[in-house]
Amino acid sequence: MAAVGAARGAPAASEVLNLFRSFLKETRKFADYNIREYIKRRTGESFRESRDLDAAAAASAFEFGKKQLEVVRRQSVVYSLYAPRVKNIMELKFQES
Amino acid sequence: MRTHQVLKGFSHIWKVRSCGFSARPQSSSPWQPVPVAAALYSQTPQHYVRWQSTAAAAEAIAPEEADQNPNPDNQGITMKGVSMAGRPLYLDMQATSPVDPRVLDAMLPYYMHQFGNPHSRTHLYGWESDRAVEKAREQIAELIGADPKEIIFTSGATESNNISLKGVMHFYKEKKRHAITTQTEHKCVLDSCRHLQQEGFEVTYLPVKKDGLVDLDQLKAAIRPDTGIVSVMTVNNEIGVIQPIAEIGEICRKHRVFLHTDAAQAVGKIPINVDEMKVDLMSLSGHKIYGPKGIGALYMRRRPRVRVEPQMSGGGQERGIRSGTVPAPLAVGMGAACEIALSEMSNDEKYIKSLQERLYKGIMSQLDGVEVNGSVEHRYAGNLNLSFAYVEGESLLMGLKEVAVSSGSACTSASLEPSYVLRALGVEEDMAHTSIRFGIGRFTTEAEIDKAIELTVDQVQKLRKMSPLWEMVQEGIDLKSIQWSQH
Repeated sequence: MAAVGAARGAPAASEVLNLFRSFLKETRKFADYNIREYIKRRTGESFRESRDLDAAAAASAFEFGKKQLEVVRRQSVVYSLYAPRVKNIMELKFQES
Repeated sequence: MRTHQVLKGFSHIWKVRSCGFSARPQSSSPWQPVPVAAALYSQTPQHYVRWQSTAAAAEAIAPEEADQNPNPDNQGITMKGVSMAGRPLYLDMQATSPVDPRVLDAMLPYYMHQFGNPHSRTHLYGWESDRAVEKAREQIAELIGADPKEIIFTSGATESNNISLKGVMHFYKEKKRHAITTQTEHKCVLDSCRHLQQEGFEVTYLPVKKDGLVDLDQLKAAIRPDTGIVSVMTVNNEIGVIQPIAEIGEICRKHRVFLHTDAAQAVGKIPINVDEMKVDLMSLSGHKIYGPKGIGALYMRRRPRVRVEPQMSGGGQERGIRSGTVPAPLAVGMGAACEIALSEMSNDEKYIKSLQERLYKGIMSQLDGVEVNGSVEHRYAGNLNLSFAYVEGESLLMGLKEVAVSSGSACTSASLEPSYVLRALGVEEDMAHTSIRFGIGRFTTEAEIDKAIELTVDQVQKLRKMSPLWEMVQEGIDLKSIQWSQH
């Protein structure tokens, strides 16, 4: 009960790293090319930007990150359920090269 | 029908099912409805959604694929006689934008268990939908610096434009008989003004300068004592030019004229504040900012109050201004899109600007005779409208089938006449015909830009090689000095 109301400390480096790895793992399976690339780019930028935050800001950024990971997880399933059979030109090109 | 009779009827299907039909897992119940056609004509298993099998989720086929025509070897797709290796890369963000997965995530519960009508006052379903709609209203208001009470949900920017123009002019029709707009407005604004003209109002269509911007002196000269409304869009959908709305707002305030702006292409992309811009009415659209289609909003100032005559009669929803059930999932989606746009605006701006520069430099460095339509300084980065000289527009577009771009705006692309916006800019007809609008958005990648540059440059060079006009230009002949003989 003493913990309730006390300010949360910054997340440990290992926790942050695990969160980042989870993002990468979920993003790899995403069915849509554009959104997959966007999530990859955006999570990299977000983690880089929040490197130098103070404890309270880092804690809230971490919570936000966890919520966004849940969104990515859910939407990864939804997008794969409705993935078109014909792939995006950009994905084919990568396969060819 | 008795159970055993039904079972007998199904046994024929069972038999076919049991010989090598591995698609459907052996469920305990014999009552799984099997598509009879499938049983009778052995289709490949991939055509049917596997039930209760998450591992196979990735192989499920979207329902609409059935009426597209995949090529026989399952490579690529053919539609309208055009065959493509895959789905084209999308560079038409001004026509519409893909729904952001975060927006879809916010919307889905309201299509599932939280399906209530927000206007139902008596039960949980109504209360939770109402709460969601009000939250969406706050999210939209925050994006434009307004109060939530000033936001009305509509079916899109077209409806918001109609309510603004016709509604304001009808309400103040005793004293105000004149409206001002520009020649580069969206078709719905121009059509509403034509409708007002038919009813007896007078409308001035201001011309624009060569760079697409409104001339403020001409605007000042056009305002009369009986002018009711001035309508100027913030960001043009065809050429991407940003109008000086703050200055126009100053002028309108001084002359006590309402200012309406169609901000469908601007909201969430450039910073907007209705107080700083002195705007009285603003139209917003959901599907231009990575939200769902079929929803928009209208901002109507309360201090000083703007009154409109409602265009839809009904139960008095949305403060009597727009009757009809507010679509809770769509409103939630638009609210989520606005919230995301607010937090991502600076990041998107930087990224899209870098992509635009890459596209511009990539094309300009490999081709000459390319012109940008519209002002280069006062422009939204995600819209690049280029004209390629000595190239025929239709053939250029047909050759760019792996890139989804448009020439002119989606609303007018059915007709063959050159875009009225480019004509208003004074662009010559042959250049207007070869204009291509590249729309860059949050989800566009560098690789797509590079591919678009490669395909465009290829196609333009190919067409120019075949063009006798190009040959003559290369030899130094001035095309304008040629006397074409009449046989």
